[in-house]
Amino acid sequence: MDRGSKSQGLAEVFRRVPILCAVAIVIGSIASLGALLFVEAVGWMNDALLISPRSRVQWDGNTVFLAAATVLVPTIGGAVVGLLVRQSGGRPLGPPDVIAAVQLANPLPAPRHGFGSTLAAVISLGSGASVGQYGPMVYLGALIGGLIRRFRLAIPDLPEIGIACGVAAAIATAFNAPIAGMVFAHEVVLRHYSTRAFAPVTIAATTGFVTASLIFEREPLFLVAFEGVRYWHEFLLFALLGVVGAVTAICFMHLILRMARLAAASSLPGWLRPAVAGLGVGLTGLWLPDILGIGNETLRFATIPGAFGTSELAMIIAAKITLSALCIGFGFAGGVFSPALLIGILLGAFFWAIWAPFMPQSGVAPYALAGMMALASPIIGAPLTCILILFELTHNYDITIAAMVSVVISNMIGHRAFGRSLFDRQLAGRNIILQQGRDRARMEAQTVIGLLRNDFPTCRMTDGATQIWAMLQGRNTAFVLDQAGRLAGTVSLADLRDAVDTASVAEVMRPASLVFDKATSIFAAMARLGDFVGDAVAVIDESGRYLGAVPEAALIRAYLDLSGRLREEENAAL
Amino acid sequence: MPRFSSTPILALLLSMPVSAEPLNVVSWGGAYEAAQKEAIFEPYSEQTGEELEIHQYAGEPDGLTTRAASENWDVVDMVEDQAIAACERGDILPLDPDELGLDPDDFSPAPIRRCSVPHTIFATVMAYDDRRFPGVKPNSIEDFFDTERFPGARGLEKRPDVILEWALLAEGVPAIQVYDLLSTERGLDLAFRALDRIRDDIIWWQNPAEAAEMLADGRAVMASGYNGRFFALKHEEKANIAILWDGRIISNDAWAIPASSRRQEAAKSFIAFAARPEPMAALASRIPYGPSRPDAFERIGLNPLDATPMRPHLPNSPEHGSRMLVRDSEWYAHTHELRMRRFRGWLKNDR
Repeated sequence: MDRGSKSQGLAEVFRRVPILCAVAIVIGSIASLGALLFVEAVGWMNDALLISPRSRVQWDGNTVFLAAATVLVPTIGGAVVGLLVRQSGGRPLGPPDVIAAVQLANPLPAPRHGFGSTLAAVISLGSGASVGQYGPMVYLGALIGGLIRRFRLAIPDLPEIGIACGVAAAIATAFNAPIAGMVFAHEVVLRHYSTRAFAPVTIAATTGFVTASLIFEREPLFLVAFEGVRYWHEFLLFALLGVVGAVTAICFMHLILRMARLAAASSLPGWLRPAVAGLGVGLTGLWLPDILGIGNETLRFATIPGAFGTSELAMIIAAKITLSALCIGFGFAGGVFSPALLIGILLGAFFWAIWAPFMPQSGVAPYALAGMMALASPIIGAPLTCILILFELTHNYDITIAAMVSVVISNMIGHRAFGRSLFDRQLAGRNIILQQGRDRARMEAQTVIGLLRNDFPTCRMTDGATQIWAMLQGRNTAFVLDQAGRLAGTVSLADLRDAVDTASVAEVMRPASLVFDKATSIFAAMARLGDFVGDAVAVIDESGRYLGAVPEAALIRAYLDLSGRLREEENAAL
Repeated sequence: MPRFSSTPILALLLSMPVSAEPLNVVSWGGAYEAAQKEAIFEPYSEQTGEELEIHQYAGEPDGLTTRAASENWDVVDMVEDQAIAACERGDILPLDPDELGLDPDDFSPAPIRRCSVPHTIFATVMAYDDRRFPGVKPNSIEDFFDTERFPGARGLEKRPDVILEWALLAEGVPAIQVYDLLSTERGLDLAFRALDRIRDDIIWWQNPAEAAEMLADGRAVMASGYNGRFFALKHEEKANIAILWDGRIISNDAWAIPASSRRQEAAKSFIAFAARPEPMAALASRIPYGPSRPDAFERIGLNPLDATPMRPHLPNSPEHGSRMLVRDSEWYAHTHELRMRRFRGWLKNDR
């Protein structure tokens, strides 16, 4: 607290604490209910549209009808999603949009766009697309939390804290994992740990957990009976599994990006692309029903020894990777985390099946679950979250220790070879570079236009030097413009001092040593300011027309303000 | 506030003209039927003057289509999933709770369905002969499939019912996911793989009374069966039977009226009587099958035979442990053909 007197500061703390707690509880409750509603809606659609095995089995014997439903449901679902996304912003929203909003301190896209995207995700998942539910749930939580921006509660960083609260509650609800929810919001979304954010985010995550587990009595997804790792050499295998997980995750992420490029380059209209992916899912589902939908049954089978043959596992892994990349790349609305969990758990089971005949081991469960998180962690860029999700899902300490080894190795390789996460790579594709740190990203996002001033002297090339000398009272430089208002150069007092009385500005001017355009970011401007000498730098548009100038001091002040703002945010107390 | 009161029911009962032809009620035989006789059938006859003729039926698929008409069945005590399937086929009649004087809100957890009224909650459990395991005793459903630690014959009903659920529970599948997994070919394969492991140790039973008898006479060391049957044999004949509640599968029976019934009004009046809390509580006091309406619980007393407090023996008593599965009647009703096909295939594959 460095503002005002001590008592004023204390009064401010007492004002903020109840507000932050109330905000966290309200957002946590609504986001949790939203996440539960989302899951219920998807489940209902899966049953109604014959995606879930439990609904499909009741049509046993109606082979033609089932086959037609298997192919048509994802295809028609894809077309509906395509049209819906076209109506609501042009692309589905997900965790990258949340990260960008928080990291750049911008508002999220319009709620209409967000709710449209959420509905598109429900239809995508409900019609069996090979996409994940957690990404849309995270976005829905962020969307609910982001609405706090509309209230003027006079608490710094409240919009970002609100978003983080919504995200934490959504994850806590999805996995019955309050600790993981809280950590995910910090590790992936906020990317810092400040007291001001930590307290409400933790409260929101707890609220989500209470809502899901205690009020609605949802059971943990993955209770596993496991008595511990029996042999020391297995930890070497878990490390090796980490390597295999990283390599698979990197291939998967590259394939997702490639599919997106392929979709963009194709001549297919945007709204039709998800339908093409849906057709692929449907046709594959005829032959491999395991790939349809979220695949909770397949997740469980992977932990049962002998449920899959080794070659069958390899086939399902390959199919799931390809179809998930196809669905995400071709515009189905949905996340990447659920497919990653499924591919990972199958990969772990496959890895176990390869090694099991050759050495003593503790069973398939630790390998399956370690594989699950080894693959998911580099994709979402959240090793801590993955370890904690597993711990809270299984309530099993031994499995968590085993998985921790795989996750750490996998994350290290993934970060080095691909980047922090798929989200960061997707943001980099939109010129939001988070790899170099939050300060740079925020400076890259802010352009010099915000610092533009029009009170710097300008002159025409035909003006006389003497006339300009008189005009330059208290200034060192004038910007010289041509007839069309384009920047032709600069003229300084030193240039004019040596000019003869009859000379025109055109004869003594110099080319501008540094020029910014409308898109120049503060970071780029600062980087180019090194050798610049002068009052201000001219800013021009695409045609070279002079728009105004940015004073050097204003640029340096903006740079310092942004750095200070981030430092304050990262170290903020209540 | 429940709408039920005995007055309209009584009016309904007394308004029924007594027929010279007896009302044909179908039950399951054995200890269960004996308990029903004391708790429901005799009180009903006393109150209405109606003569009841009791038949036995163990849920054979052709029962409702052939025997119902030839034996003039009027009321059938059915497992709920069979009632759902029969209702969809039109083999039993739709029932109107209002006409029966019943409030659907009084029934929980099993609801009144379109053609059937739930009445008893029972559990299919695994029981074992206590004499055969003097040291380490079976304590989980996994032990049913472990013939190395617990050798000996296993008595099982010759139907692809609870054994499939038990097989997956024994593989560590949580109860909440069992039916989802059994809805896949892979899940069924896993279940039959578990059955394969004990194939040579299985002896089949088809009449529910047989399960307890197999344990009592030493033919089997473990058997699946209905909790009430095991209880009855243990308490009435002092048999050395121990019930293993782990993995118990909770189901419910329901009253239904066959479409071929010639005395439908009398059948409805019987169901209206049997669905009251008093007969349900009287039945649960004699054999540990829970009532399907919560307001009957407080009326359950001591067993008239040996003054045993009956509530701890009911299937849903909390002291039986947390691992239990509520049988999904809808799933059962719609997977009968699939399960039978797979089961017959597995039986044929006998090595």
